[in-house]
Amino acid sequence: MSQPFDKLLDARGLNCPMPLVNARREIGKLEPGQVLKVAATDRGSVADFQGWAKVAKGVELVGQETEQAEGANVYVHYLRRTA
Amino acid sequence: MPVMESIEAVGLRQEVWTAGDLLQRLAGRERFFVLDVRNRDEFDKFRLEGRAPVPTVNIPYFEMLELGGKEDMLNSVVACLEGDVADQLPWDLPILAVCAKGDTSEFVARGLRQLGYSSANLKGGMRAWGEHYATRALAEGPDLAIYQVSRPARGCLSYMVASAGKAIVIDALRHLPPYLDLARAAGLRIEAVIDTHGHADHISGGLALAAETGASYYLHPYDAIHPIDVLPAPIPYKFIGEGQTFPVGRHELKALHIPGHTLGSVALRLEDRYLFAGDSIFIRSIARPDLGGKAETWAPLHRRSLQRLLGLPGGITFLPGHFSSLDEADEAGGFAAPLDELKKRNQGLVVLQEQSGEAFVRYLLESLPEPRPEYVDIKRVNAGLLALTEEDAAVLELGKNVCALSRAHAACGGGPQ
Repeated sequence: MSQPFDKLLDARGLNCPMPLVNARREIGKLEPGQVLKVAATDRGSVADFQGWAKVAKGVELVGQETEQAEGANVYVHYLRRTA
Repeated sequence: MPVMESIEAVGLRQEVWTAGDLLQRLAGRERFFVLDVRNRDEFDKFRLEGRAPVPTVNIPYFEMLELGGKEDMLNSVVACLEGDVADQLPWDLPILAVCAKGDTSEFVARGLRQLGYSSANLKGGMRAWGEHYATRALAEGPDLAIYQVSRPARGCLSYMVASAGKAIVIDALRHLPPYLDLARAAGLRIEAVIDTHGHADHISGGLALAAETGASYYLHPYDAIHPIDVLPAPIPYKFIGEGQTFPVGRHELKALHIPGHTLGSVALRLEDRYLFAGDSIFIRSIARPDLGGKAETWAPLHRRSLQRLLGLPGGITFLPGHFSSLDEADEAGGFAAPLDELKKRNQGLVVLQEQSGEAFVRYLLESLPEPRPEYVDIKRVNAGLLALTEEDAAVLELGKNVCALSRAHAACGGGPQ
């Protein structure tokens, strides 16, 4: 169940902490209300994005899902800039 | 375009500890400090523990990013560590940076070093530590050799018994190289692989090791039925039962059926010298009877089996399936103790000897730690009812075993200590 987003960040193949570091940088470039979609292959990103969204100001984790691509799991995170 | 950070680009060299280095330091009671940057759930589930407590602070890396507030990881780490966090870090101890896989902690170790701390990175992170194996010879001669193969982070113990070029492996753990390498180095042919019971806390390597070496895989048939699903294990195993013997070179192992921790638990006795006890009696504690979801029914069985083991010759050396703390190792680093000593020191056995049957069963039921929900799936994997990828398997069995009774209720009265 995908959802609308304004920008896609492809973080596939990157190890922790880069998916989160890059997402944090990219969301800073969005306007409030816009949504960033992050695609990562690092499984740890699922729990880490949840933890990060709790402490980061102006970021809301709108949803997460797991997709299959070429036999590998892709962990997708939707983040909204709230302020 | 995302800006890439690269460890190589900055080029500051720092110390790296492998899982093996870490084990040496933990076992040797070396003093160091741990800065663990995994998220709090992961940290609560599985942390570094040594013979002595290791001073540790947990600050998730994403909190460091926010606290430090810079764009990139390294500068955020440095800014964070210079701030309020500095009060929590020691100047007089090496600080080991720890994360899940060892990449993020490398930034942290480098940030620490940049600020003048003595720092090291745990190579491969907690994954590598959890999958580290150590092999120790408890006895080694041409007539009889006993190797204890452990996963120190998980507190899992397995064994290879060897005599005259033949070997039996007991409770093989998930990764096969430690056994294959040992057999090759010692010129041994593995003839049988035995699981003392259907494991709940870790994925067995028994079936895979048997397939790899052409040996037979043995399991008690009661444990070839998943206790929660009540489904039979579709795996090629041979039955093991009470009194069955397994020749190994000039010696022989004899099975004792000791239901309690599981219905199909067995111990393997090597004459009056060794008892491969599986999950029954550990060094300081005893096994829990509830992982099949039938604690009330299984606890009295467990008591009878423990009583039976108490009747073995006092000089027989117990070789357990688990330990709870590295501190349980003897001076040489092995996990083994004669029954006579266990009768005096093992908390569960002390209670067993002092209390009536009813009181002991009550003690068992009052001393159960919270079971891990993933244990049901681990039993499914071991029964061949669930297949996992390597990644899923690694995640499922991450953390230390909780197969023993908790120690909170270990006082004879069962009250808080």
